[in-house]
Amino acid sequence: MVSLSGQAGSSDQWQMLQKMAVAAHVLNYQGIFVCQTGAQSKSVEIKHIYNGHDEFARNVVLDGSPREVFNQSGDVIIYNPKNEKIVIEKRRGQNMFPAILPTDLDNIKANYSLKLGEIERVADRQAQILILESKDNLRYSYKFWVDSEYGLLLKSVMLNNRNEALDSMAFTQLTLIKSMELDWYQPKIDSKKAYVMEDVNTIADKQDSPHWRLKGLPEGFVKVEQMMRAVKGKTWPVTHVIFSDGLASVSLFIEPLENGIKPRNGRSLVGNTSFYANVAGNLQITVVGEVPEVTVAKIAHAVVFVK
Amino acid sequence: MTEQLSALVDNEIELADAEHLLTSMQANSPAAEAWSRFHLIGDVMRGTPTLSADFKANLMAKIDMEPTVLAPNAAWLKSAPKGNDNASKSGGQQIAWSMAASFAAILVVGFMVLQAQVADPSLNTSLAAAETTIPSNAEAIPAEYLTAHQSSAPSSTSYYIQPASYPH
Repeated sequence: MVSLSGQAGSSDQWQMLQKMAVAAHVLNYQGIFVCQTGAQSKSVEIKHIYNGHDEFARNVVLDGSPREVFNQSGDVIIYNPKNEKIVIEKRRGQNMFPAILPTDLDNIKANYSLKLGEIERVADRQAQILILESKDNLRYSYKFWVDSEYGLLLKSVMLNNRNEALDSMAFTQLTLIKSMELDWYQPKIDSKKAYVMEDVNTIADKQDSPHWRLKGLPEGFVKVEQMMRAVKGKTWPVTHVIFSDGLASVSLFIEPLENGIKPRNGRSLVGNTSFYANVAGNLQITVVGEVPEVTVAKIAHAVVFVK
Repeated sequence: MTEQLSALVDNEIELADAEHLLTSMQANSPAAEAWSRFHLIGDVMRGTPTLSADFKANLMAKIDMEPTVLAPNAAWLKSAPKGNDNASKSGGQQIAWSMAASFAAILVVGFMVLQAQVADPSLNTSLAAAETTIPSNAEAIPAEYLTAHQSSAPSSTSYYIQPASYPH
């Protein structure tokens, strides 16, 4: 393949990645995949249908607690058993396997280079390996196994810059289906349990604060959402800002220092998640995300306190 | 309490007194039983920083309504996927997401006090103002922030695997 100047990876390879990003949304399939992070691993049964207008996916966790995750075109509802209750949670549907890439790859192309790997067999299917390599140290790299025939993502591994796997998701069984029936798109109701909605503890926040502004965010990360959030143990609402580079998300929390409470200063990296807390002026800054430590530190230091 | 909240919105009482008001709202709020539409609250809140007349009127109306708007379960049962006895639902339906007006009120009061507090130079005088610290010590990720991150910006694995610290 011939490399086009100015773009890392040939246009054929990017087309293959584009096909992979779309295939997860438009194909009809069912199977079982294994999701692994750190020492934990769960098998998940997935069924996905696209009827030309809407997508319907049901994901049932087969190991441990029988959590069910429903995704209707990006609106996610989780039935999460907790003790004697089933808590119904609402989530933003993004990066859900096998649809872990956005369909618009512009931001990805700006921050990653793409390389073609070997052919391997995954879940009884022939797969082409694609390596999406971070151009800088601000984000993790990925290795994708893509179905040679249908373009569906069969296996995905997230890697740090030492090439160590941080998490992975891989089909062990997969079949394409033709039926458009939706009788399966419903939770298994346990009549002995109480179903309760998760407490809503956020509210949209569209205003710029007079007390802080952002300067020098890490390359490729843009603000996608801002809200006020009630946080357990906090007297006052915390401002919660979410940044994304198209693949990874980072949360920035900003709150005033409270009299009598020791400011938090610290950092850590646990599995795929980095954490950084520091103080800027009268503000406590906390940053959490599935990115390298340098990225959470940069986002924390991008907060400028305005007197 | 409603009168006090009203006075606060009208700047008739000092923000310094609002902490007491906030505490009493949190203690008295029948939030778990009182549901009202999220977007109405959101709309009026976007009228800040000088809270609009609409905001106050709407918020007061919501709080007055709270004891009579009951049964949150009925709201989601109408639209959420139902039991096996009714296999046809779910299609294009949306759950009507809602929240308690009193909860929104708590956030608003909290936000007003917060803005005043951050701006107050007399607070935190032991800190060199506007200085940024650079931490070097390892510290465990506080569970409340990790949970908040994963609920608003879930990673692809966090839908299925939750950290050990996740509250059950």
